[in-house]
Amino acid sequence: MKRTVLRLIGRGIADLALDPAGTAGALLAVTLTSFLAGLFFMLLTTLDIRLGMARGESIFQIYWRDGMDMDVVRRQWQEYVHLPGFRSVRTYTPEQALEELGRRIGRAGGDLDKTFPFLAADSPLPATALVALSPSGPDPERWLEETSAYFRSQHGVARVSAAPLQNELGQAWKQVGSYVLWPATTFLLLALGLSVGNTVRLAVRAREHEIEILQLAGAYNWYIRLPLAAGSAALGLTGGLCSLALLFLLHDRLGDVLNFPPLSLRLYFPSPRAVAALLLAPTVTAALAGVLAVRK
Amino acid sequence: MIRVRRLSHSFGADPVLKDVSFSLEKGDFVFLAGPSGAGKTTLLRILYAALPLQTGEAAVAGINLGRLPASRVPLLRRQVGVVFQDFKILPRRSVEQNIALPLEIRGLAPRHIERRVMAVTRALGLQDRIRLKCGELSGGEQQRVAIARAFVVNPKVLLADEPTGNLDPELAYRLMELFKQFQAYGATVLFATHSEDLMRRHPGAYTMRLEKGRITAADWPGAGVFIDGAGRTVHSRQRQ
Ligand SMILES: Nc1ncnc2c1ncn2[C@@H]1O[C@H](COP(=O)(O)OP(=O)(O)O)[C@@H](O)[C@H]1O
Ligand SMILES: [Mg+2]
Repeated sequence: MKRTVLRLIGRGIADLALDPAGTAGALLAVTLTSFLAGLFFMLLTTLDIRLGMARGESIFQIYWRDGMDMDVVRRQWQEYVHLPGFRSVRTYTPEQALEELGRRIGRAGGDLDKTFPFLAADSPLPATALVALSPSGPDPERWLEETSAYFRSQHGVARVSAAPLQNELGQAWKQVGSYVLWPATTFLLLALGLSVGNTVRLAVRAREHEIEILQLAGAYNWYIRLPLAAGSAALGLTGGLCSLALLFLLHDRLGDVLNFPPLSLRLYFPSPRAVAALLLAPTVTAALAGVLAVRK
Repeated sequence: MIRVRRLSHSFGADPVLKDVSFSLEKGDFVFLAGPSGAGKTTLLRILYAALPLQTGEAAVAGINLGRLPASRVPLLRRQVGVVFQDFKILPRRSVEQNIALPLEIRGLAPRHIERRVMAVTRALGLQDRIRLKCGELSGGEQQRVAIARAFVVNPKVLLADEPTGNLDPELAYRLMELFKQFQAYGATVLFATHSEDLMRRHPGAYTMRLEKGRITAADWPGAGVFIDGAGRTVHSRQRQ
């Protein structure tokens, strides 16, 4: 019995070679639909990651007390790159701060040395850092407060002011995303399953003659269906693997094509779960279609 | 071995078989004669459960066809060999694979299968064709493969639906000898044909005539009860 089952599975797979043109056609169809689904997954993943990134950038302005030892402050600045959600930091020693101020005023139409000549020697401005961080955690408001408090608790810090999140798109996506992602994924897999199923159904129809002969010779249904299911599953799995290979190639070659400023759009490979779905969906639906295509 | 009583069948409103009754014993060889459209194929299809039994009773190889569940149809098919006009063999598989098919379905051991296939191919003169794909054979050889496939399981009943209809008369005549071998091994053979010529060349066989869905003649003892073309009930001679 076990030997029969193994033999039938083996035969189902070997039988794919009986009709090379038909098998190639079905494989092509399965590969293409899986590939399109994978491409869609890739865009969805990219969109999700991109908009997820844009979710956050709050800028914290941190001012130190007058007369701080700049070496101590500089060491603090160097630590900022290790903060979670770190995006960028700009720092100003009191002198640099003054210079910057001068440049800004100057651009507005004045010259610092002429406006404030007495300041040049001894800047009255404090050491300053502008730290941009992406929020983490589910509650951005709370994160903003906690992070501000953290900066405030640092040695020598006099004042911290934080710009609240200005990110309607990211926020909107965050809310909509969970409503869109799952239905879109489900729909995608369903469409993939249906088209693969239909391809296999047609391929099995082409073997109706053989099925009829087996039935006439007294074969039970499982005996007829098992090889068809095995062959179809092999076809679905191969198609899924081919589509993944194509997708990988595409990602490898074209993943960075749009990755230049200001677009900076990098393509992200679908998540492992999506990859598993891309393999499982055609395999399972193909096997099912192979079974169901046999009419009693 | 085949018992049919008051069987009628219709496709939609079209009655195709009307009140058919007959019975065949073990080892009988009977021509089912009648013009095209008489209902020969329909009758045979009912006997191997490709069509449901609508009215009347029928039993083949001891299996009652009335209310035969789909799950038991394979059991019937394992007792009944069928040979068709269009051969119904697998052209992309070898002669050997085609003949081994019913044995594999029965789950026999490979060693046993090989021995049976060898014996049958020798008996039917196919031994030097065994590795060829069936699609590469001539029509006569293809039909011989189909006959071998039916023969290889020693069926209790053989149903043949104009198996020589596609072949030239000389070849048909020689294949008939093979069908006679079934009879020699104790099978009951019901052989549908519309060729008067073929029947004339086998005067020893019984003949049952079907016309417009009715049995109009049966020439063997104990053939059973049937209604003739004029609607009269006819009793055949009793088996001695
Ligand atoms: N599946 C079917 N549906 C409808 N009518 C059918 C079907 N099969 C056969 N018939 C009709 O039944 C009649 C008998 O056909 P058939 O049994 O094939 O006759 P024979 O085999 O003696 O030539 C014919 O008139 C044919 O048109
Ligand atoms: Mg016919």
